[in-house]
Amino acid sequence: MITGGKSFVTAPPAFSNDAKKLLICTGNTVSIFSTSTALQITELEGHTAALTSVIVVPATTPAGKILCYCWTASLDGTIRYWDFSVPESIKTIDIRFPIHSMVIPGLLGKPSGSNKKPLDLFAYVSAEAANKQKKEPTVSDGQVKKKQRNALGGQILKCNLTESHLVAGATLAETPKPEFITISPSGEYIGIQEKRKLRIWEVPGKDSERASYRKIRLHHTKSFTALAFHPTERIVAAGDTTGRILIWRGFGNRTFSAGVVMDEDERPGVREDDDADSCTTWHWHSAEVKVLFFSADGAYLYSGGREGVLVVWQLDTGKKKFLPRIGSTVFYLTSSPDPSLSSISCADNRVHLLQMPSMEIMKSISGIKLPGSVPELMKGPCSNLVFDNAAGLIAIPSESYCIQVFSLFDDREITEVQVCERNHQPGDEVTVVLNLVSLSLDGSLMSTVETRLSEEGIGGLVSLKFWARASQSKDFSLSTIVYEPHRDAGVSGFAFHPTRRMAVSSSTGGEFKIWVSDYKIQQRYQNTGWTCHAVGSYKKKPMTAVAFSFDGSVLAVAAAMVITLWDPEKNVLVAVIGESLEPIVSLSFIGKSEYLVSASRGSSPQLSVWSMSKLSASWSYKLHTEAVACTSDDSSFAVLALLPKSTKLEDSSESILHDVDGSILIFNVGDPVPVATWFVRKAKGGGLAFIHMNPGLSANDTSDGKPAEVLLAYINGDHEYVLFHPHGEQASKHAVTHRERHTELEDSAGRYGYASIYGELPEYKLKEDETPKAPLVPSGRPWETIFSGSSHNLPPLPKLCSVFLESLLERRTTVVE
Amino acid sequence: MAEESDQQTTMPKSFPVKPKLKPTSRKSTTTPESKYWRSFKSPDPQNPKTLISSITSLSFSPAAPHDFAATHSATVSIFSAATLEHKSTLSAFTDTATSASYRSDGRLLAAGSYSGKIQVFDLKTRSILRHLRSHTRPVHFVKYPLADKLHLYSGGDDSIVKYWDVATETVVSDLIGHKDYVRCGDGCPASDDMFVTGSYDHGIRVWDVRVSRTSSVMEVNHGKPVEDVIYLPSGGLIATAGGNTVKIWDVIGGGRLVHSMESHNKTVTSICVGKVGREGGEGGEENRVLSVSLDGYMKVFDYSRFKITHSMRFPTALLSIAFSPDSSTRVIGSSNGVLYAGKRSVKENVGSEVAEETKKQALRPSYFRYFHRSQNEKPSEGDYLVMRKKKVKLTGHDKLLKKFRHKEALVSALRGKNPENVVAVMEELVARKKLLKCVQNLETEEELGLLLGFLQRYTTVPRYAGLLIGFSKKVVEMRAEDFSASEALRVHIRNLKRAVEEEVRIQQSLQEIQGIISPLLRIAGRR
Repeated sequence: MITGGKSFVTAPPAFSNDAKKLLICTGNTVSIFSTSTALQITELEGHTAALTSVIVVPATTPAGKILCYCWTASLDGTIRYWDFSVPESIKTIDIRFPIHSMVIPGLLGKPSGSNKKPLDLFAYVSAEAANKQKKEPTVSDGQVKKKQRNALGGQILKCNLTESHLVAGATLAETPKPEFITISPSGEYIGIQEKRKLRIWEVPGKDSERASYRKIRLHHTKSFTALAFHPTERIVAAGDTTGRILIWRGFGNRTFSAGVVMDEDERPGVREDDDADSCTTWHWHSAEVKVLFFSADGAYLYSGGREGVLVVWQLDTGKKKFLPRIGSTVFYLTSSPDPSLSSISCADNRVHLLQMPSMEIMKSISGIKLPGSVPELMKGPCSNLVFDNAAGLIAIPSESYCIQVFSLFDDREITEVQVCERNHQPGDEVTVVLNLVSLSLDGSLMSTVETRLSEEGIGGLVSLKFWARASQSKDFSLSTIVYEPHRDAGVSGFAFHPTRRMAVSSSTGGEFKIWVSDYKIQQRYQNTGWTCHAVGSYKKKPMTAVAFSFDGSVLAVAAAMVITLWDPEKNVLVAVIGESLEPIVSLSFIGKSEYLVSASRGSSPQLSVWSMSKLSASWSYKLHTEAVACTSDDSSFAVLALLPKSTKLEDSSESILHDVDGSILIFNVGDPVPVATWFVRKAKGGGLAFIHMNPGLSANDTSDGKPAEVLLAYINGDHEYVLFHPHGEQASKHAVTHRERHTELEDSAGRYGYASIYGELPEYKLKEDETPKAPLVPSGRPWETIFSGSSHNLPPLPKLCSVFLESLLERRTTVVE
Repeated sequence: MAEESDQQTTMPKSFPVKPKLKPTSRKSTTTPESKYWRSFKSPDPQNPKTLISSITSLSFSPAAPHDFAATHSATVSIFSAATLEHKSTLSAFTDTATSASYRSDGRLLAAGSYSGKIQVFDLKTRSILRHLRSHTRPVHFVKYPLADKLHLYSGGDDSIVKYWDVATETVVSDLIGHKDYVRCGDGCPASDDMFVTGSYDHGIRVWDVRVSRTSSVMEVNHGKPVEDVIYLPSGGLIATAGGNTVKIWDVIGGGRLVHSMESHNKTVTSICVGKVGREGGEGGEENRVLSVSLDGYMKVFDYSRFKITHSMRFPTALLSIAFSPDSSTRVIGSSNGVLYAGKRSVKENVGSEVAEETKKQALRPSYFRYFHRSQNEKPSEGDYLVMRKKKVKLTGHDKLLKKFRHKEALVSALRGKNPENVVAVMEELVARKKLLKCVQNLETEEELGLLLGFLQRYTTVPRYAGLLIGFSKKVVEMRAEDFSASEALRVHIRNLKRAVEEEVRIQQSLQEIQGIISPLLRIAGRR
């Protein structure tokens, strides 16, 4: 079983101490990427629900840079402590509430005095509210009030990480929904933004279970969306939904440090009795500010939002610099211990690694494109995800007018095709939509349909584009553009001929067109592409779906309720079959059998199987079908069906089938009883396909001697996918393992600087690079080895000294315990 | 690894607003060959050189400057090949001059005339050196052999082909065989003693003055009165023109018809051999048959592939064509005396000039140029160039669109006068849902006038009509009050109205035609 397609941008990522690794929360796991190659190194697996926070334990000493420990928090209610170099889980703390955000101020503070006993480590977590039973005793009011209380979401709780329990009675705040906690870089303050106010707490310097908190609130007239603390001074910046950035200087002078209370009149911009010296407002963003971040020296403030532009403000002067054209909403900005490296996470599921002072994008870690917000009327009738069955690829249209080609086996982006050359516009409405993509059977041809919506009836345009890929390259190149292929009407379906260079498009305007590309002509003239070969229509009915039979001899076109069969060569109507209740939205021939499966939606949805030899319906179900996938050779097919809302299924086994809304059914053509059934979540907008597992690609399958295995790929509405054996049992799941995709960290790193010019220095460099690989393995007697060798080979003394002393200290502690 | 890192690094891109692509027809794709033939450019294409009457023949000098002679009325005009300018005139004819032919060294020129007399001129002094009198009827073809400087052959309306000794002004032999006017002929490139003639009796005869004095070596029948015949450079093939066909014959293979090219619509009047050179000279030259016809077309025929590779239209009936031996000039003469001369710019041979490199003095610090030395150094061949990143060039409206100044962008595009750009900007504004807002924001009369002027001109152009018709309607609805207030705008509106009425009229007549055609098509489809 292969899973993948996780979102990289649900939570802010974290850099390791040596800035060579980036820890990204991907679903239930933490994926660790190399910053030099942007490839995945390893994964931390263990949580059972989505991760929400990852915090790397920072190094306090230079020698500690090789330490690879991190804390993670997840929605499954646990906090885990990991050594991510090995990788293994060291400690698990179960607090039983889904955690939405976690900060650990104790890690950031200055190292406490050496003579004292180490203090307990405390974490502040934003957890989802306690469940019903626990809440009820606190509620003393009537029934109405109780209801409201139950709806309440978030609580800021305190957790003793050293002793692995929640601190009783230390609930800092209750909020309507779980909020994201922001911590100041010094670890002195934590804050949340709650609607129109900021709540800031001072974390006591010597934190203990019974510490008391001093807190302030800052008010504004708009809802806050982002918050950041200055690393050294008492400055807090917050962004609101209108794109304004408010900066309070000297917040909490009264409360936190009992400073001189300034005169009421001399606090410009501060609302009423808020505790701050001054408040200034900057306004550049046109939409809400998503990210605010102070640079490590505190001289600059970074802000980003829906525009896809990273703005750098000089804090003293308010002067701006920009990193434009990021292409989508910026979610998080993370700085690394290496001052020249930081990362931004974008809404298109991409993490860009930035070279810092110049703000150049060095590398991008791209995940699968997340489903965009497509206007309802433009949604294609079929699922908009297309699979390349042979190569295990999926083509996904994205919001930035691109088609992303994503490898399901490798969980990696293969290429990206810019379909429509338009810049990212931070508008409210989507006006240019990629609404149809299709790939030919061998994956060498692609067609896309994009629609520009009209403005009050003028200027709408549908364009059909044909793309071709050379046999060896992975990039598609544009071959033909057809403007308005079906006059004003939109394109409802598209299919490529399985063997020849022929394609068919159907339109709601009541016609379908057969397109051909003459290969011989194409060789002679470079510019020749696809031309219209024939046009057909049936009683002026809107054509809603098309499909070619496996050998391409029959073309099936759904004309609203009926299915018409055509000879694609001569463009002659062969037969008309069927009558469904609703317009058919998807058609496919089942392998090499004589059956055709059609699906219709609407108030009376239907899934029907038609026999071509009898020209009549074989059997049908009343199912709301989301996607249909057919195997290429045998006579089974899979259906992704949405479960109706009224189903009683969930009551019977509520605990297991939590928020299940769809099911995958596998049928044999002759038999209306499904062969296999799975229940899935988030089926709306999902896709389904049979993928051929190429035996040459996975080494451990060759021993089985099977020809080519067929896997079923299911991708849900959030573009998370899973590949599994449709007919196999549990046992065979093990046969399908991840292809070796974890690359080594060091080897593939590009050479730079000195090494790029003069080549590697053999001895010295390698020794330094290898150290992170074996962290904290207390070798018996390091002092015996580190000084060995000739003196000119030895590393400089400061380097050796720390290692030597460290090893001594290490030994001492082990002896004590 | 380097590739992969390139692929992973997605640098921010910016796309300028681009107009829609135009459809390209398959025919208009320019092959390198048609590009080559089109590169023969006339120095003044608007007013080509006009001579007194129809140009009966054209011929190039085989010697170096490759001047060419055109016969028209009773004169032979000599033109310079370098400038295509008129150089001198030979006008010692009593009747229409025909068929000028250069001797192999390019110093003498022979020409026939309707009087039956053949004259040989010295080109330097323009004096007549010899009069060859024997033909009793108009002479239509006079030709020097390829290398022989002493003999000539000629043919005329008396259907006799004569072989002359020029020095003594005597006929060496009368070659009798043709039964009608002899109109054309050509010497064999392989032998000076063989030549071919074509006649209006449809026959083409190959003569060899060595073996038979009276009858031809070979005879083939073209099927139509033969207007022109040439040897192809190999000497084994001949091309004949007659009627609207050009035929290729294999002479060595016993007069076998190799191919018949029927592409012209009217009589082919003249053919010649042209050469297609590859760019830069490598790959050698290929020969083509160039033919001109009364239908006004010049066609280029690739006789190795039996394919027309280029065709070119001229406004009048064409009578003669010639192609210079150095393949730099192509001249075509027409029936109304217009000379279509085309010259191709041939790149100078650089290799010869390198030798003349002057020795440079070493620069000294006392000299100003010392401080600028080698700043204009061009990279030599093996150098690795560090390329500067290409800057995306943005037009004015792109810059304004980037700043979201939509109205200014529209106005800037309208000022740009390129309708494609204007429509592209409008489409981009539609995609941003700001087009109508822009119209509302157009303030001054001048801006509105610009927009209306544009709409009036392009609303009915089919490529833009889809967008502009709806848009014009909206504009008129939205700004009706402003239009009534201003006189200048009212004029624009009136023009727009006229354009729309015109379009309506066109559409109606098109519908009428459709009404006529569609029943016919239906009937045709039923069969």
